[in-house]
Amino acid sequence: MNEILRAIYSSIIDGEQKVTTAKVQEALDQGTEPSAILNEGMVAAMAEVGKLFEEGEYFVPEMLVAARAMQSGLAMLKPYLVKADVKSSGKVVAGTVKGDLHDIGKNLVCMMLEGSAFEVIDLGSDVDPDKFVEAVHQTNADIVAMSALLTTTMPNMKVTIEALKAAGLRDKVKVLVGGAPLTQQYANEIGADGYAPDASRAVATAKSLIAA
Amino acid sequence: MNKKMPTITVEFQPTGRRIDIEHGETLLHTAQLAGTDLVAACSGIGICGTCLVRVVSGETTLPTLSELDLLDSEKIKAGYRLACQCIPLSDTRVEVPPESLPAGQKLQLEGWGGEIKLVPAISAIDLFLSPPTLHDLKSDYTRLKDALKQLGLKDLSADYQVLTSMSERIRNQNWSLRVAIRSSTETGQIVNILPANSGIFGLAVDIGSTKLAIYLVNLETGATVAQKGVANPQISFGEDVISRIAFANKGIKNRELLQKRLIEILNQSIIELCQSSNCTPEQIVEAVLVGNTAIHHLVTFLPVQQLGAAPYVAAISDPLELRARDLGLNIAPGALVYFPAIIAGYVGADHTSALLATRFSQSNRIRVLIDIGTNTEISLGIGEKIYSCSTASGPAFEGAHIHDGMRAAPGAIEKVQLTSEQCKVVTVGGIPPVGICGTGVLQAISELLRNEIITPQGTLRKNCPGVRFQDGRGGEYLLVPAAQTGHGRDIVITRKDINEIQLAKGAIRAGIEILLSHGGISSEEVEEWVIAGAFGTYLNLESAIQIGMFPKVPLDRFHQVGNAAGTGAKQMLLSLDERSAATQITQRVEYIELTIYPDFTQQFVKHMNFDIE
Repeated sequence: MNEILRAIYSSIIDGEQKVTTAKVQEALDQGTEPSAILNEGMVAAMAEVGKLFEEGEYFVPEMLVAARAMQSGLAMLKPYLVKADVKSSGKVVAGTVKGDLHDIGKNLVCMMLEGSAFEVIDLGSDVDPDKFVEAVHQTNADIVAMSALLTTTMPNMKVTIEALKAAGLRDKVKVLVGGAPLTQQYANEIGADGYAPDASRAVATAKSLIAA
Repeated sequence: MNKKMPTITVEFQPTGRRIDIEHGETLLHTAQLAGTDLVAACSGIGICGTCLVRVVSGETTLPTLSELDLLDSEKIKAGYRLACQCIPLSDTRVEVPPESLPAGQKLQLEGWGGEIKLVPAISAIDLFLSPPTLHDLKSDYTRLKDALKQLGLKDLSADYQVLTSMSERIRNQNWSLRVAIRSSTETGQIVNILPANSGIFGLAVDIGSTKLAIYLVNLETGATVAQKGVANPQISFGEDVISRIAFANKGIKNRELLQKRLIEILNQSIIELCQSSNCTPEQIVEAVLVGNTAIHHLVTFLPVQQLGAAPYVAAISDPLELRARDLGLNIAPGALVYFPAIIAGYVGADHTSALLATRFSQSNRIRVLIDIGTNTEISLGIGEKIYSCSTASGPAFEGAHIHDGMRAAPGAIEKVQLTSEQCKVVTVGGIPPVGICGTGVLQAISELLRNEIITPQGTLRKNCPGVRFQDGRGGEYLLVPAAQTGHGRDIVITRKDINEIQLAKGAIRAGIEILLSHGGISSEEVEEWVIAGAFGTYLNLESAIQIGMFPKVPLDRFHQVGNAAGTGAKQMLLSLDERSAATQITQRVEYIELTIYPDFTQQFVKHMNFDIE
């Protein structure tokens, strides 16, 4: 890995947003391949962040600042990636379900997915089942990722899955669910394809759903 | 660590202790391992029946012959078991009834009482009636009303239930009576007919998600004659109100169950309070109940479904006056229960009550009120305006979701002092430690920070004494080694515990900062910081500032006032003026929904870190 990519990599792990954007600009100015910046700088860094999280070294705050740094660099890189026709890992429609306003966890999942070169369409929080359906229709997404933080709103995941079925889209997308009150058992019960207990494992699960 | 046989998790309520055990252990042994002391008079051979517990969920072995001997079929059907006989077969949740615990939990009851003028809703009138004769054939009720009319009390009515027992009472008491009359409305109503010279009492209750504070108050003197703290039995249906709402959403039967269990414990407590004060429940002629919005709705049979999903609105936010007997509460037959106004879906009547008790009715100073619980309600008063919000601080300060966490029951570490040489701990009841409660965790983390054993990001520093990394999950700090604990196991603070506190204090501080910025003032401009609630009263302020839960302002601006909600309930019991002051307070409140506040995530994340100033 060259020096500038290593600088991007470590600035993301340390959550130094300003350094990340400066170094991404520098890399682009030097004519570094956009796909190399993405994969060797950003994706590799977020994988390390995910590993640190799973080992208990990092918790939500560190993960959020790292993801923020990555995201600001990615925003600069995006036009170049489009121009160079760099393929994304997959397309994800994400949102917090109807009745639930909690979005920190969902935002983190979105950023971690972007940090793994997924294309993410974030529908926000309190998302109506029909809005999920419409977004899948319009974007041809590979995955629908739903979050719920309340025991009272998690039944709306099932409602959304039913809406996807009714629209004839259930076979075309994989459904990934997560959130504090959820369990693998609940995910199975409602007929989701995947469950992730945290943002880091959401990425791994999304990858395995795409590969399946 | 080497792999063991698959384990079973057993949770004890109301202490909140959780423990992983291997298959084949009895519940009694499990309780002992977990540091939850059960009374086991026969030391667990199944003959005394004192270690009675109720299995709320999970699979267990079937009742043994000893149990069938000692417990009647009703009890067994209700899930009651003898802990020494019952072996869990899957993850199990167990409720320990108060009588099976040797000592009561430390529940915080004192509030910040101020002098208030007595303007009671109920007045007591002493009467002597002349008995009927063949020449004076007026009905008993007419006789009573005529006597009251002579005292200037016209247009009275009586509660139907009072009428049904009136004639017998009048005669039993030889025509000498004390009549309790509710005069808050234009036409008064007789709520009870008591023997002459009976004292009249009121009941004030603060219903928290985890505990109830119950006060018996003399309505004539204003004095609190007895008080009691009991665990909220609804905890067996879910630790937080959201899971109780989810439970209630599954059917009307569940909603009834949640209501019934709460009223049962209230009725039982009323009997105990009356016994200790030489009075009868009949003499309790008025009650005030306060609680968060979900609890309020569950007690009053109002729907809770809409509280469980955005935009989280109350069914009714106005003050309510309901008949005690309609709620199932066994006090005077015509007694009413007053429920003060609600502010928002997650800022309930308990906060209204706390604002009243801490004099937010007077608007001359800039003040902040913080009532810390599973949900923390925060209010900022600036002149006529009060800004309020609710923030999900989680149950960590109640000792839940903490590795060795427990509530403030005997054996819980409540104070920690750390020097380079040693770690000193103080427990509730002064006995060897078996876990750590919220105030203990807070102080432990603040001490770890002060001694630079954890970083501002909350990571444990390697190579510090006491820090160990055994299983690759962020490490832990050894607070009390097994040799010095009450259950022979180490008590530790894990990286995950630190993170739980980071989440909780980040949420509280973010709420504070958003209210301040919304009100356009700085923390230095706030003249008084009022900290309410049990945890808030016992917490060490310096520790709370050290970890960044509260802003760094001079300590003398903080006032830890205890159960302000309970105090407010007592004040409303004693004075109708206080009730209208409470209603007026709610009209001045602007509620701020944090989850959609643009700056919230940023503030939350920022304040999850520990800033060492």
